[in-house]
Amino acid sequence: MQDHVQRLIQEKVVRETQAKTRRHFIKSCTQGMGGLALSSIFMGCDPLEKPKAKNPMAFSERDLNPLATLAPPFAPKVKSVIYLHMAGAPSQLEMFDYKPQLQKYHGQDCPQSLLEGKKFAFIKGTPKLMGPQAEFKQEGESGNWVSNFMPHFKKVVDEVAFLKAVHTDQFNHGPAQLFMHTGSARLGRPSIGAWATYGLGSPNQNLPGFVVLTSGGNTPDAGKSVWGSGFLPSVYQGVQCRSKGDPVLYIEDPEGMTRDLKKSTIDAINKINKEEYTKYADPEILARINQYEMAYRMQIAVPEVMNINNEPENVQQMYGVEPGKESFANNCLLARKLVEDGVRFVQLFDWGWDTHGNVREGSIDLGLRNKCREIDRPIAALILDLKQRGLLDETLVVWGGEFGRTPMQENRGNKKMAYKGRDHHGDAFTMWMAGGGIKKGVCHGKTDDIGFSGIEGRVSVHDIHATILHLLGFDHEQFTYEFQGRHFRLTDVEGELIKEILA
Amino acid sequence: MDVLKQVLGRLHPLIVHLPIGFIILGLLLQWYDRKRKEYGKVIPLVYLWGGISAALACVTGYLQYLGEGYAFDTVKWHLWSGIATALFAFLMYARLKEIRQVDFLSKVPIVVLSAFFFVLISFTGHKGGNITHGEDYLVEPLPNHIKSALGFETFEEKVIALNEENWQDAVMYDDIINPILNNNCVSCHGPKKTKGELQLHNPEVILKGGENGEIIVTGNSETSELYTRLVLPKNDEDHMPPKDKRQPTPEEIELIRAWLNIGNPFEGTIGDLGIEKELFLSFFPKKHDADYPDIQISAASQDTINGIKNKGFHVENISKASNFLEVSCINMPSFTDSDFEFILPIREQIAILDLGGTQITDAIFEKLATLPNLTVLKLDATAITGKDMELLASLEHLKSINFTGSLLEEIYLHNLVEFKKLEVAYVFGTQIQGEGVRTLNEGQIIIDYGNYELPPIPSDSIIY
Repeated sequence: MQDHVQRLIQEKVVRETQAKTRRHFIKSCTQGMGGLALSSIFMGCDPLEKPKAKNPMAFSERDLNPLATLAPPFAPKVKSVIYLHMAGAPSQLEMFDYKPQLQKYHGQDCPQSLLEGKKFAFIKGTPKLMGPQAEFKQEGESGNWVSNFMPHFKKVVDEVAFLKAVHTDQFNHGPAQLFMHTGSARLGRPSIGAWATYGLGSPNQNLPGFVVLTSGGNTPDAGKSVWGSGFLPSVYQGVQCRSKGDPVLYIEDPEGMTRDLKKSTIDAINKINKEEYTKYADPEILARINQYEMAYRMQIAVPEVMNINNEPENVQQMYGVEPGKESFANNCLLARKLVEDGVRFVQLFDWGWDTHGNVREGSIDLGLRNKCREIDRPIAALILDLKQRGLLDETLVVWGGEFGRTPMQENRGNKKMAYKGRDHHGDAFTMWMAGGGIKKGVCHGKTDDIGFSGIEGRVSVHDIHATILHLLGFDHEQFTYEFQGRHFRLTDVEGELIKEILA
Repeated sequence: MDVLKQVLGRLHPLIVHLPIGFIILGLLLQWYDRKRKEYGKVIPLVYLWGGISAALACVTGYLQYLGEGYAFDTVKWHLWSGIATALFAFLMYARLKEIRQVDFLSKVPIVVLSAFFFVLISFTGHKGGNITHGEDYLVEPLPNHIKSALGFETFEEKVIALNEENWQDAVMYDDIINPILNNNCVSCHGPKKTKGELQLHNPEVILKGGENGEIIVTGNSETSELYTRLVLPKNDEDHMPPKDKRQPTPEEIELIRAWLNIGNPFEGTIGDLGIEKELFLSFFPKKHDADYPDIQISAASQDTINGIKNKGFHVENISKASNFLEVSCINMPSFTDSDFEFILPIREQIAILDLGGTQITDAIFEKLATLPNLTVLKLDATAITGKDMELLASLEHLKSINFTGSLLEEIYLHNLVEFKKLEVAYVFGTQIQGEGVRTLNEGQIIIDYGNYELPPIPSDSIIY
């Protein structure tokens, strides 16, 4: 039986071969060649598919060390970014956006035309307008307005570029913070710091590339996703360090574990890993070896850089640090030290800016003033300190909240509140930037007479992201990551460079 | 009546597809029926319809030519071949119906007639497409070299280039306004296409205006359509250029405005006309403001760079577009003067060198002087005193030196006046006394002494 089948097959092959003429061959050649040509035109079935490396053993430096530096596409203006986020949304109307007309309308009903079609977090019915609760003065050579809530800030006002008409489409803290830091109000996108570290790496091999410091007694409402890596490899997420206690949890060796013992443990693990590598040639193994070694080095480097006690007395005083405590001042000083040591992105969050007027700490005339005092000196000190060390030219400092606050007094539940407060407001709020590549002392954008909406130079959250990436040497439209079959950008399909504040 | 003309005219691109469809159908049927001969009755009918619809297309086409302001030269081939197509469709009908008057045609084989007809209708359709889509519509996506090989003109942009020396000598119309109009407008309002009966490629036609009359009110930009159309909102139907076309820059629009306000002179240089310099700054060459020299150099080999990296240096290109390198000892605090030899292979490429926090001494200056393209130098937190620092004065590109936290001595500081390109030196945290910023060489060099203070104020301790 078996033989029979074999013979049949044999015969079929012979017949076919005989039947096939040169013409058949040439005909099928043309189809084959055409197909080949087409496939190169259409780049195979998956246009995003990258050509396979010719030599599977040739790894890039990135395969071995995910934080290895890469050159940006264009010459960068800055090497590092310090992003100061006031979580809870600071009131622009008491800090930088002076609205004398609003004082005139103080206590009057807000015009219906402004309220139509708008959503507020808490305001109900017809709220009353509330004039600025701070005194303003024009400061510095630029003559930009600064309130008496920020008395030290006037010393650095000529260094910063104000954006007076930033807008966002979110009016709740969590989504707005996510939007501000990841370019999307929904979870899952990488934060700016993750994009920056992914795109550029970090030169210091003993420190993380992206460090997060928090103060104000709480972390941002949006949770750790605001410094997350989203769909980027998780090695690019922010490393949260604490300014009180161990800077990184479990960084100290446990009792009884000496440094030598630790070293020999890691050496033993790495030796096994290297054997694995010679067997399977998987670059992930090399990356793992690298990570162990970096962690070992970080045990020394991180506590060193996070120790502010060794800073000279006058520097400590300038920032107003409180060693041993968790404070924004400490974090500002740490931010300078980290940037000085080559950390790519330092993200500071200060919590407690949500001034609705429901409690004393959350009031525009009392609590807000305390918060301003807590950041005023440290921020001025940070900018001056960066400047005198020659670091301000290669660092970008960004300040802002996730949105602004209403020109109307909040009337939660349509009742008069215990304290003066303002509700969430995304139509127009103030942010500023300072440092390399930024035009000093400019003021871009303008709000209407009561500070409700931007009327000139409105910029979106995407525009701010585009500008930050530009200063780091990227075109935000070209800087992409491939995920689930499409190229993702920090700015999605939007974002325009804010040229008016670029030097 | 004019309205009717335009409306009917605009139906042309719609109607024109009817004869195309009929005629192609007729040709296909002839081919399909070549052996069986079953459709002999249908084919002439199809050609008759083709002829009638082609005649209609001719009429609407002519109306469109009148109504939309095409130059006759632009449409003539399409117009004549369109009429020929209509006539030929009737001829085919007559030939197939074997009408006596066209007996002379019976000598020509039908295959030849059909083939000619196919060529004719393709030609007509192609010429029509050229009018609506532009002659280069099909070839436009091709790369430039293929285009020029095929004999198509590539769009020639007239570049506006001014600089500090020559800007006043440029002729306002010839060197500025004409290129702006050429680059943004003339593709539709020029010799090839004349939309709205308007042309903008030379002074005469500009002054003549378009179908709505003149576009310039002498000396008044705000009422001159040549300007007002440009600044309408982009979504406005009257905005020019149309929103999906290339747009002039804000600076270019400003120049059009300025030129109109002084009475649109076609002669005279910028200097003669006395137009302010600010308006032209965007056409000046960009000032090079970067941490590397404004010259081209060859790249260091990747093997050389990797070798230096393996020694513990941080080495990275300043950008993917530049061969200049940034070298840092951030991971190498043990660096001493003798380690300098490791980076000698890339001495040409080093633009930024960070030796901060290393073990260097004043002997390093002699070695640093061999880095021809050094632009930014960091010597912070080292034991250098500044002795022999003057050796660096020969470096042509050195822009910034950071001495913060070093042992720099005041007696050597003054040597910086010899540095040609130096812009800033940071001396905070050294033994040198001083506060804030002082300048050397009539403001060319900034010395930042630092020591900024934020003196305590009463409000520091008020808690609300």
